[in-house]
Amino acid sequence: MRAMIVKEFRELRRDRRTLALLIAMPLLLLVIFGYAANFHVDSVQAAVVGPQATQVAARLPSFFDVTVTQPSEGQTNAEQLLQDRTVNVAIVTGRAPVLALVDGSNLFAAQSIVSVLNKEGNTVSTRILYNPELKTSWVMVPAIIGIILTFIGTIVTSIGLVRERETGTLEQLAVMPIKPSAVILGKISPYFLVAAFDMTIITGLGMLLFGVPFNGNAFVFMLGAALFLFVVLGLGVFISTVSHTAGQAIQTAVMFLLPQILLSGMIFPLDSMAAGVRWIGYLLPLTYFTMISQGVMLRGASLASLWLPFLVLTVMAAVVFFGATLRFRRDLAPRRRHSTVAVEPATVSSVHQAGNGA
Amino acid sequence: MTTTSASEGNPTTLLAADRVGRKFKDFTAVDDVTLRVGPGEVVGLLGANGAGKTTLIRMLLGLLATTVGEVELLGGPPDRQLRRRLGYVPQGLGLYRDLTVAENLAFSAQAYETAVPELPESLRPVADRLIADLPLGLQRQLAFLSALAHSPEVLVLDEPTSGVDALARAALWDTIHEQAEAGVGVLVTTHNMAEAEQCDRLLLMSHARLVAQGSQTDIIGSTTAIAIRTNDWARAFAVLNQAGQPVMLSGRDVRVADADADQVRAVLADAGMSAEVFGVPATIEERMMVLARGPKAP
Amino acid sequence: MTYAVRCASVRFGDTLALDNVSLQVEPGAVLAVVGGDGAGKTTLLRALVGQAQLATGEVDAPPAEAIGYMPATAGSWSSLSVAQNMDFVGGIYGLSGNALTSRRDELLDRASLGSSIDQLASALSGGMRRKLGFSLAMLHDPPLLVLDEPSTGIDPVSRIDLWRMVSEAAAAGAAVVMSTTYLDEAERAAHLLVLDGGRTLASGTLADVLDSFDGAISTTARPRRRAWAWRRGREYHEYWPTTAGVPIDAAAVTPDLEDVVVTLSMLKRHESELAS
Repeated sequence: MRAMIVKEFRELRRDRRTLALLIAMPLLLLVIFGYAANFHVDSVQAAVVGPQATQVAARLPSFFDVTVTQPSEGQTNAEQLLQDRTVNVAIVTGRAPVLALVDGSNLFAAQSIVSVLNKEGNTVSTRILYNPELKTSWVMVPAIIGIILTFIGTIVTSIGLVRERETGTLEQLAVMPIKPSAVILGKISPYFLVAAFDMTIITGLGMLLFGVPFNGNAFVFMLGAALFLFVVLGLGVFISTVSHTAGQAIQTAVMFLLPQILLSGMIFPLDSMAAGVRWIGYLLPLTYFTMISQGVMLRGASLASLWLPFLVLTVMAAVVFFGATLRFRRDLAPRRRHSTVAVEPATVSSVHQAGNGA
Repeated sequence: MTTTSASEGNPTTLLAADRVGRKFKDFTAVDDVTLRVGPGEVVGLLGANGAGKTTLIRMLLGLLATTVGEVELLGGPPDRQLRRRLGYVPQGLGLYRDLTVAENLAFSAQAYETAVPELPESLRPVADRLIADLPLGLQRQLAFLSALAHSPEVLVLDEPTSGVDALARAALWDTIHEQAEAGVGVLVTTHNMAEAEQCDRLLLMSHARLVAQGSQTDIIGSTTAIAIRTNDWARAFAVLNQAGQPVMLSGRDVRVADADADQVRAVLADAGMSAEVFGVPATIEERMMVLARGPKAP
Repeated sequence: MTYAVRCASVRFGDTLALDNVSLQVEPGAVLAVVGGDGAGKTTLLRALVGQAQLATGEVDAPPAEAIGYMPATAGSWSSLSVAQNMDFVGGIYGLSGNALTSRRDELLDRASLGSSIDQLASALSGGMRRKLGFSLAMLHDPPLLVLDEPSTGIDPVSRIDLWRMVSEAAAAGAAVVMSTTYLDEAERAAHLLVLDGGRTLASGTLADVLDSFDGAISTTARPRRRAWAWRRGREYHEYWPTTAGVPIDAAAVTPDLEDVVVTLSMLKRHESELAS
C-alpha cells in the first residue's frame, strides 16, 4: 500500500493543473474572499434635484456622496439618473416629505440606503424603484444567465474542441480541403445556438418562477448576450488550444469560471470590495454582462446608458475570439515549402462530376 | 499434494489449461482449449481479433473465471500468491506515463517486495526521464525489466514488440530467449507473423477454438496460395478481384490465397490474358484469413 | 506524374526528426516506409501532405483535394457511426446524394464493413476502425494516398484486408505511400524506404535493397562476435563484413530483408558511437 501512496504523490506532484486547482485556487479564493467579501456598503453616489437641492445636499450624512446637484430638475430627471445608473439614490426636494428614489437593482447599496434613510424619520419618504421588495432573486437571475452562458461557452465548447485533438482527428481535418475558419465556426455554431436557446429558457423561467421583470429592450439584451457569448466561446477555443484532454480542459475552464462567480459583483457588490481586489472584477467579462442583464431586465436601461459594458465586451470579444482562433489555426498547421503538382483532371473531377449530376 | 488432471501429474508444467471454456451472455469466447507451457519453452499464441486470445490469457492469469475446465498456474489454480511468481507485460505496457523510469521501477519493486533492479546501459541515461518522453523501444525495455525484477518463473507477454524497429525487436527477443534458457516458461502473443519463427511452438486460435498447434508448417496446414506474374498486373488484379478471388499484391506479382490454379488460369483466359501462374507457399496470415472466412461456398 | 519529397530535413526543437530524406512514388505503385517508433515515418508522411515545416528540402505534392490521408491515430470520429463518418468526409470533398451513397457502400463492402454501417466508430474493433479510416481516405478517389501505420497493432486478418484494399487502390492507379513497422509488408510493396533515427538506411525495390547488401550473414548456435549477432529463433544470425570472414563451421544464409535492416541499423549505431 505504501508503494501506491508514494506513486500517487509523485504523479500528483507532476500534474500541475490539478495542483493549481487543489492548492493555488483555494489560497487565491481565500485571499479574495477576505478582501472582496463585504456586504457592507460605506458610501453611495447620490443625486439631489429640486429647488432646495444645494441646501439638502449639504445636510446629507457623509454616507451620501453627492455627485449630481440639479436644482432646476425634477422627479423625471431623478428617475432617469437612476435608470442610467449614474447614481444609486436620487433625492427630490421641493416637496414635503423629501422623496428619496432608490435603485433597487443594486441590492446591497439599496439596503444600506434604506436603513440610513429610515433614521431620518418622517422627513424623508423612501421609494425603491426597479426592485421594490429588494428581492435577491431579482438581482441574481440576470447574473445567473451570465454564469450559464459562461459555463456553456468555456467548459462545454472547450471539451468539444479538445475531443478532436484527443482522438487525433484534428490532424485529419488539417489535411482535408476544409478551411480552418470553417472548422472553428462549424464547431462552435452548435454551442452558440444551444447557449442562446438555454438563455431564453432560463430568462423565461426566471421571470415565471420568481417574477423577475423584463422592463427593457429585448434587442439590447440579445445584443449584449451575443457579444458576451463571443467572449466566452473565444475563451473556450483558447482553453482547447492549451489542453490535451477533456479533463484538463474542464480543470482550466473551472479556473476561469470560479473567480468570475465571486468577483463579478454577482454576490459581493463591486463597490464594497477593497480596491486592491476590485480591479480584478473589472477585468472579468461576466461583470459587464451582469451590468447589461441587470440594467435591461430591472431598470429598462437604454443602450446608450450601457455604453461602457457594451464597449468593453466588444473589445474583449474581438481580442479573445480572434486571438483564440489564430492559436487554433496554428494547430491546423500551415502548409509550407510546397510546390503543387498539377493533377490530371480526369482523376479528381470525375467524382465531382458524378456528385454534381446527382 | 494432489496432482490435478490439468498438469497430468507433471509437476514442472508452469501454465496449463485443460479443456477450458468461457461463455459470456450471448457468445462463447473460448471453447475447449487445452495447452501447456513448460520450463524453458517459448510458446506463441496466434489468432485474429476476437479469436479468444485475450480471454484465454485472462483466465490463465486468474483474472477471469472459466465456465468450463481447469486452469493451472505453477501447479495450482491462479491466485495472487502464485501470481507473485509470474511476470506479465500487457499490451499497454502497464507503465505510468507521468512517472520517471526510476520511479516506475521503484513502484513495481515495492509492489512485488523485491529489490529495485539495476538499470541496463541503454536505460541509465534516461533514469530520470518521464515515460511519456521515452521512445517506444525504451519503454518496452523498461516494461520487460520491471516484469523480470522479481525473477518470475513464468512470463506472459502480450504483443511485446509491437511498433518497434527491427534492431530493438531483436534485442527484446534476445531477452526472451535468455530467460527461456534460464528455465522460464514464456507465453507470447503476437500479430507479427515474422516472430512466429522465434517460438518453439505455436498455437493458433480461431473463433474461440484452438485450430492448430506445432511448427509453422503445422499451422499453415493445407492452405495454399497462387502467384500470378504478368506485365499487366493491374489488369490481372482487377479481373481476379471482379471474379471474387481474395487477391492482393506482392511486389509486382498478384497473389491469391486458397485458390485453385486452374480456376485462376480460366478466369484470366476468359479476360484474354495470359500469365505465369504458379503455386507458392502460403503464409500464416493467409491461413488465418481462410479460417476467418469460414467454409467456402461449394 | 511522380510525387516526391526531396532532401527533407525537419527539426523539432534540437532534435532532427528527419535528416536529408527523399522519397518518390508514382501512380499505381505502393511505397512502403519502414522503421520503428521514432524513425521519422510520421514526420516524413506529414511533410508529404504539407503538415510539417521543412528546415530544408522540397515537396512535390498535389493540392488537398487530391490527397487521401489516414493518420496514425484513429482516423475516424468516435461518436459518429460508420455511415455518418463517411457522410461527413464525403461532404467536405464535395460528394453528395446518390454519388456519395453508392461510393460509400462500394468502399464499405470492399472493407467488409457493410454490416456495421450504423455502428459507432468507437464500438468497432481496432482492425475495423482502421479499415474505416482507410475508406474515409479513399472516399474521393485521390491520386495520392498517404497512410500512416495503418497496420500497427492490428490483427493479421485485418492486415491482409487492409493490404488488399491498398492493392486495389494501387491497381486502380493511385500512388500509395504507406508507413509500416512490419517488414513483410515492406517486402510486398513495389518500393521500400527504410528509415532509422530520421535517416535513410536503404531504399529501392526489394531486389535493389537485398542486392546492395555488403557482406555476409551466417547462422550459428554460438556467435563469435556477440555484438554483431541477433536471435532468429533458437539460432543466431551473425554479420560478417566480407564473405571471407565467415568461419568455416558456420553456415552462410542468403540475407533476407530483416537481416539487411538489422545489420544496417547496427552499422549506423556503431558509427554514431564512434563519432561521439
